[in-house]
Formats: sequence, C-alpha cells, structure tokens
Amino acid sequence: MMRKVTLRNLAAHKLRLVLTALSVILGVAFVAGTLIFTDTMNKTFDDIFADDGPPSVSVRGVSPVETFDETATPVPVPETLLDSLAKVPGVASVEGAVQGNAIIIDKEGDPIGGGGAPQFGFNWADDGTDDGDAWTMVAGRAPSGDGEVVIDLASAEKGGFTVGDRIKVAVAGSLQDVTISGVLDGTTGGATFVFWETPAAQKLLLAPGQFSSVTLKVASGGTEKELAERVAATLPDGLEAVTGEQMLEEERSDIDSLLGIMRGFLLAFALVSIVVGSFNIFNTFSMLVGQRTRELALLRAVGASRRQVILAVLGEAVAVGLVGSTLGLALGAGLAALLSAFFQTQGLDLSDGLAFTATPVIFSYLVGVVVTCVAAFFPALRASRIPPVAAMRDDVAPPQRSLRIRGIIGTAVALIGVLFLGLGLTGTGGTQETMSLLGVGVLLVWLAAAILAAVIGSPVVRVLAGWYPKAFGVAGKMAKENPGRNPRRTAVTAVALMIGLSLVTTVNVISSSLGATTDRMIDEQFGIDYAVASTSQQGLGPDLVKAVRELPGVVGVAEAGNGEFKLNGENTWYTAGDPRALLDAGNAEVVAGEAAAGGLLLSESTAKSAALKTGDTAQATFPDGKTETLTVTGVFTDNELIGDRLLSPEIWKAHTPRAMPNLLTVDTEKTDAATRKALDGVVDAYPGVMVQDQNDLKDQIQSQLDGFVLFFTLMLALSVIIAVFGVVNTIVLSVIERTRELGLLRAVGLSRQQLRGMVWLESIAIALFGGLLGIGLGVAFGAAIQQSLSEEINVLSIPVPFLIGCAVFSALVGFLASLWPAWRAGRMDVLQAIATQ
Amino acid sequence: MSHSVPNPAPPLGELAARVERVTKSYGTGDAEVRALDDVTVGIPKGRFTAVMGPSGSGKSTLMHCMAGLDSVTAGQVFVGDVELTRLDDKRLTRLRRDRIGFIFQAFNLVPTLTALENITLPLDIAGRKADQAWLDTVIDTVGLRPRLKHRPSELSGGQQQRVACARALASRPGIIFADEPTGNLDSRSGAEVLGFLQSSVRDMGQTIVMVTHDPGAAAYADEVVFLQDGRIVDTMTAPTSEKVLERMKGFDLPKVVSE
Repeated sequence: MMRKVTLRNLAAHKLRLVLTALSVILGVAFVAGTLIFTDTMNKTFDDIFADDGPPSVSVRGVSPVETFDETATPVPVPETLLDSLAKVPGVASVEGAVQGNAIIIDKEGDPIGGGGAPQFGFNWADDGTDDGDAWTMVAGRAPSGDGEVVIDLASAEKGGFTVGDRIKVAVAGSLQDVTISGVLDGTTGGATFVFWETPAAQKLLLAPGQFSSVTLKVASGGTEKELAERVAATLPDGLEAVTGEQMLEEERSDIDSLLGIMRGFLLAFALVSIVVGSFNIFNTFSMLVGQRTRELALLRAVGASRRQVILAVLGEAVAVGLVGSTLGLALGAGLAALLSAFFQTQGLDLSDGLAFTATPVIFSYLVGVVVTCVAAFFPALRASRIPPVAAMRDDVAPPQRSLRIRGIIGTAVALIGVLFLGLGLTGTGGTQETMSLLGVGVLLVWLAAAILAAVIGSPVVRVLAGWYPKAFGVAGKMAKENPGRNPRRTAVTAVALMIGLSLVTTVNVISSSLGATTDRMIDEQFGIDYAVASTSQQGLGPDLVKAVRELPGVVGVAEAGNGEFKLNGENTWYTAGDPRALLDAGNAEVVAGEAAAGGLLLSESTAKSAALKTGDTAQATFPDGKTETLTVTGVFTDNELIGDRLLSPEIWKAHTPRAMPNLLTVDTEKTDAATRKALDGVVDAYPGVMVQDQNDLKDQIQSQLDGFVLFFTLMLALSVIIAVFGVVNTIVLSVIERTRELGLLRAVGLSRQQLRGMVWLESIAIALFGGLLGIGLGVAFGAAIQQSLSEEINVLSIPVPFLIGCAVFSALVGFLASLWPAWRAGRMDVLQAIATQ
Repeated sequence: MSHSVPNPAPPLGELAARVERVTKSYGTGDAEVRALDDVTVGIPKGRFTAVMGPSGSGKSTLMHCMAGLDSVTAGQVFVGDVELTRLDDKRLTRLRRDRIGFIFQAFNLVPTLTALENITLPLDIAGRKADQAWLDTVIDTVGLRPRLKHRPSELSGGQQQRVACARALASRPGIIFADEPTGNLDSRSGAEVLGFLQSSVRDMGQTIVMVTHDPGAAAYADEVVFLQDGRIVDTMTAPTSEKVLERMKGFDLPKVVSE
C-alpha cells in the first residue's frame, strides 16, 4: 500500500522530481565521466605496455639523483661493455640504446609536439628480427649516416612530411638538416620520435661510444630474474641490471600515480557538484513533505507507522536516485567521449573507444542513490513527525521551527573557525601545521556560513532588495519580502550557489595576488634588458649563444644553466652561472661572503633553513653519481629569478654531459625596437627559444595564471549550473506554493508582466544573496591563504572587476533561473488559482 | 476607459453591470454541462444585490463571468459600458484593477503586506495615489485604524475580511463582487462585515454584488436574484431572511452533491 503511495506521488510531482533528478544526473555524470575517462587512459597505457616483447634484461646507469628530464642519460653505459655482456651465459643478444631529446621542426619553423609530452631522439636499433614491438615501418627504410632519420607517423602527418623530405631537427640546441628515410607507425601517447643510425645517435644525442642503456635478450630456457642476477655480478660500479618486468612496473607506477592524481583531482571537483546537488535534493524533498503534510497526517491517522512514512519518502528518493544515476552514467560516458576527443586533438593518442569497467557503474549508482537518500532523510524524518491530528487541522503549513538554535550553533561553529584561522595566520607561515589549521578554519567558516545562511538570509535579502519597493512599487515590495517567508529554503538555495562561487573567488584572489606578487618581483629583480630563454628541454646551443654575443648593440651576456643535485641528502635544483653576472642580472645583493666563483652561493632563506653560512661546506651528489664537497662562498638576498642555490659554472659542467645554458641575460646599449628586432631575428631560427623583456615575462606568467584560473573555473562551472537548477527549483516551488496568493493578485489587477517581474526580482535577490555570500567567503579565504603564504605571495590583490562580474553574474543567474517559472506563473489561470486549496 | 467597445452603447440607465443571454458550458456533446443557460440580468447602480441559489446552481460562475475572471461560451457581459468578452487579458486585468473590487471567501490578503498595504494594493499596482480623504473614511468605517501596520497573520478572521472590504472600496470601483464573504466567519464577525457592506451601499453609493447561500446574509441586500440549474428563476426586493428561506425551500433538491 505504501509503495502505491510512493509511486503515485512520483507521478504527481513529475516536474519537481525532474529538476531534482537533474541535480543527481549532473553530479553523477561528473563522477562517471571522470572514472570512465581515467579508465580509458589506463587502458591506453595497458595497450602500450602489453607489447613488452620477449624476456629481456636492461643494463643502465644508476643515478643517485632523481632527475626531471626523462630524456636525459646522466650515467651512460660504455659501448665497450657490450662484448663482455654478450659473453654472459644465457644472453641471446645485446643491443645498445641511445635516448635523448630531439625536436622536429615543422615547415613554419615551429616545434612539433612538446607541451608536456616528451620529444624523443633514439638510435635505430632494428636488428631485423621480429622482437614483437608495436612499431611498424609504414614507408621508407632504416636511416643511414648523420643525415638521415626515421620519424613517427603522427609527427610526419602533423608536419606534412613524407619520405625523402628534408627537415630540420633540433638537437642539443643546434639545428640538424636531415632527410626522412622512413616513417614508423605506433602508439606514441603524444610523444614525438626521431631515429638515427646508432653512431649518429650517439654523437648527436649522447656521446660517441656511449649508450643510454643496453638490452639483453634472454636465451630460451632462462628467466629474466636469473639473468639479471648473473649480469649484475659482472657490472662495474654505477651500473645496474633490471628485468624487463621491473622496467615496465617502474613506468607503470609513474603513470599510475599520475593518473591517480588526475582522478583524485577531478573527483574532488565532482564532489563539489554533488554537494551542491544534494542541497537541491534536500530542498525538493522538504517541500514535497511540506506540501503533503495533510496527506501524510491522514496516512498516519489511518494507521501508517512512522517507519512506513519514512520509507515512503525514502522510496521516492531511491527512485529518483536510480533514474538520475542511470542517466548520469550515460551522460558521463558522453562527457568522457568528448574529453577523449579533445585530448586526441591535443595530440594525446588514446586507444579507440572508451574503456568500460564495473567501477564507474558501481560508483555512479552508489553516489546517486546514497546522496539522494541522505539528502532526503531529514525531510523524511520530519514527515514521520507530523502528528496524525494535522490531518484534521486547517492550517496545512507545517510550523516553521525557530531559527534560534541554528543561529547559536552557526555562531559557535563560526567562532571556532575564526579561532582556527587566527591560529593559522599567527603561526609561522608556510609550515604543515599552519596550513592544516587554516584548512580546518576555512572549512568551519564555510560550514558556519551554510548554517547561518538561513538566519541572516531574510535580513540580508531585505537589504539587498531594499530598493525594490521604490523602483517597482508593490510588486517590488512583495518580491523583497517573499524570500524571507521560507528562510531555510532561501538559504539552501543561496548556499548551493555560494559553494561554487566561493571556490571560484578564492582561486581568483590567490591567482590575482600571485600575479601582483610576480609583477612586483619582476619589477624588482629583472635587472637586465632582455632574457633569451629556452622553453624546451634542450638548452641554448653554442651557435645561438655566439650569435647573441656578437649581435651589434649587445653589451653584456651572461649564461645561466640549471640542474639537479642532492645537497646534504636533499634532492633539489640549482642554477649555474657566473655569480657576479647573475646576481647583477637579478638585482640581488650579497649579504655575506662574496660573489666569487668556485663554490656555491645560497639565498638568505635557504642558508637559514639549511643552517649554512659562508665558509661552511656541503656534500653535493650529482646525477652522474659523483659527490663533491662544496664550499659556501656567499649568501645573497632571496631572488626568484636566480633561485636559492647558485653553483659555479665549472662544477656544473664537470658533472653534466653537454651542459648548456637555458637562459641568457642580455644587456644592450638601447632597448629600442630595432634592438629587439635584431634579437628576435637571431632567436627565430631556434625553435623553442624566445626573447623576453620585463613585460613579456609578466605576460607569460599572467597567461599561465589565467590558464590555471580558467581550468578551475571550468571544473567548478558544473556546480554553479547545478545551483542554477536549484534556483529554478526553488522559484517553481515558491510559485506553486503561492498559487492562491498569485491568483488573488491577478484578480485584483496585477498584470502578467508585473507578476513575472515580481518572480524575477525575488529570484534575483536570492541568487544575489548566494553570490555575495560566496564572493565574501572567497575573498576571506583567498586573503587568509595569501597571508599564510605571505613569504611566497607577499602582495594581496583583490580582483575587484572580477568580483563585480561575479555579483552581476549571480543576479543574471537569478534572472535566467526565474524566466521559465515566471512565464508559467504568468500563464496561470486566475480562477483556478483562486480555487486552489 | 477609452479603448472600449465598438458596439453602440446599450441603454444604460442605472445598471452597473449586466449580462445578456450568457451561456457558459463545460465539455461538449453528451458530456456538456451548462453552468449558465441563457442568463440575462442587470445589476442596478448603487444597490446591494445578492445572488442566491443551491450548490451547483451557477451563482459563482455568474459572478466570475461578470467580473471578467472567466470567459463565457455565448452572450455578452458588460461592466459599465465596456463589453468584457472582447477584451484581451491585458485589458481585462486593467479593467479589474480600475473598475472592479473583489472580496473572496478566504485568502483575501497577501501575507507579506501590512493591512494598509493590502488595502491600497490595487492602487499601488496601478501606480495611482490613493485619495487620502476617501481612504481615511474607508479605514474609519471598517474600524481598522489601530491595526493598519499589522500583517494578516496578526488579524482575526473578521478583521481580515474587513481589510478585504476596505481594499475593495479603496479604489472606488464601479462595482464590487463579493464571493461568500462571510462563509468562513462566525456569526458576529459575519454580521459586522455584512453591516459594513450594507452601509457602504447606503451611505457611499457603492454597487455590490454578493454571492451567498446564507439567507441571513441575503437579508442585508436590497435585491435578491435566485439561480437554479444555470437559470434565473426569481428575484426579490427588500428581502428578509424568512422570505428568502421560504423561497429557497421551493427549489428542487440540488442535482449536484454539495461541494
């Protein structure tokens, strides 16, 4: 019987349930989309790694330093070792591999690929046997000599190249003119590939007589593990033997952790959408219960138990959750397909078709149904508390509970939150504890805002809409009062909007502060006329450096390189270059010791945190496996352009094969257009190299920040869209609830247009309340985070135009959300409305 | 109203509103139900007219059609010299706002507005300024002055209906329609409201049409129109509750089960 009641109710409140289901659908779609997409990426890599060929063992150098550049070979394997390796029992064949960085240049002179995906250069190592790899030659033949290369099909297609074409490839900062001898097809995952004959590859990418690694095929009957052990015993220090399986695992675990981070990140945004959606669900069910007070009381009066009432309401929630999850799952698959298509256009090759596992299905239904039921539980509980006698009463509206307890709890939570924020802000900035204190504080204040929204909602809306009566007469007066008639509903609606906007605002305040900070930093520390910088993993080649030095009008050039080392056990970056020239370029001052070559200079803050002072020594281990004792020759003022550790160039060069600067600081006689043009002219020939002055650098950083903000905003957009549905829902419901009142108003002469205007104004006031709440919280959080990171972000910049834009956007959201409900309200039949019970 | 009817104005005399051969039916064919069946009636100016009849007699439909709240199937409806059946929603709304006052049985007031704001509601909607002297007269007559700042929820049922009466009178409409205005009130409050309606006709020259099924209420009117099965079956001048009750007994049992 109660099931029949549930079903009938679902049918009777289609519209409301559709709006509610939309919230579920969008939230679930985000979750399902994320899971399906990351599954698809997983499958792509599974496919790539599935072709691992016959059992093998790799011999490679062991670097004590974890380096960022995956194309680099810090410790090479000498070619001379190959003969002895071939003699190890159980080795079927030996093959040396050369791996480095090579950039294919397209016909416009721009690099192909890059932007995160590696640009590989390899030696051509096809020994004629089918070793089961995924590559197939689609045209041409193997390369021969320095002047021929084989490239991958994707790059050939992007560049519009075919066999026989002469192309340029950038290697080690210099351009090589080569002819394409063949094109190879295989899954690249967005990376680009260039192959040379082995001696050429060694010469160009590594060093003659050296290999990046050596692959030993296991003779039949042997195992990878056995052979690896046997080979390891013969290896000199600094080299290791790893099984093919281990190699795969290493690569997989890197990719898995990356995919894991991406998945977690997207799911965090999905969670925001789901929380917002749950507010809508809560609102709808509260209202459904409110409107059915009499009916539910009647059910109770005729003998339904409390449990049955709860189950009847939850039954509706389960149905909505199931339908929403199903549609959300479908929409999520669509989203994942769109994302895959987008990544395809960005050069990331994904395996054909989406991967479907059980995970997205299980999670979609779990999330959809559980969230709906949890959100509907409290309304259901309230429904069960309706006394049977309510069936006999005339005043059907359930009494509104007092907001006092809510006010007290909210204030208490807010105070605790502020206390945490205060502790976080007064603590020493940047440490783990401060950030956690701050995080808890932010969360509590946020929660408090959500709780208190119902208390402060009516007064605030009354203030926001204070000008309505003057401007719009009696319709404005009613629009101003209406949101206060159900403060809880108004609050929940506004809070849903608040969530997304507060996060967007926080991100914008931080990004704006970061922008202001870097602008100031560049003004203070960019002490040169121009910088010539490499944007690829290749450095600036000697030809380019020479050309810049010899350019008329150039009066000073300093070279800066960088690298990674372990300093007293800590893996970290250093900058390398002439200390005096670089400190000058960065407007940095020596505060202790002197800017002398031959050792290491530290920034003030690093010297302090590492407890090092001038004259102290530190152990530095380089990627090539060698360790040196460095003397701290000086300490300089903190400088973002130089970094924290400035290493003498000859030490850098001693430990870095093919050490090349990645930045030239350039001082010129004049900084006019002609000088700039001449510099640009020199650099243009080198892909991935650019000339920047102060403003260019600012623009570059700003555009990076903009990209970051855009990404966050897009990720949060869905939660805002769901909140808009919430506003639509609330306005539809408040119109339905007030049918009689609206009928009366129409009867005594309110025109359709006036009625619609009234609904618009009410909706705008609610949305603006949510928007301003979000903006206010966002500014507060952004400022708090900036304060706690004041060493890194030392300027607080409030993006006022953006905030005004947000407020206008909220008002617009209110207006758009009310268009349809207002249109419906205007069309309502006056006589029927008056007669409505 | 300048945008009135192309029809030649009918002889008005002292009629505030009239319906001519009005039929209102629901459904078609065999399922057709005639709520009003060829009804012709005039409402005299400055008089208190009660429309009576058993449930389902069509009395409420008649009022709704006369007040421009409902459309007719056939026939013509005039308020003053304006023919309603030819007006679009916008003009009908303006006509209701400017020329007609309403008092409903319940839910007469907007809960978010004070008593005073409810009284001036039609004027505010129109953006017109209230005639202060007239407003004072109305407010004092209904005895609401101390309660003007109160919200409807703070007023008793009788007070709420008196606010509704004041609202209907405030804009000095050509005609006021009252639909069972005392249906939800106890007898004392009801008598107050009826007495007030009666005096607004006698002392202020207002025209009022009241739909009721209570012979006691009808006794306050100057004239009574009796409806049965969508037709006018009788009229009565200077009614008393006894006379009305007597006349009502003469009707057949209602065909429709009571509401």
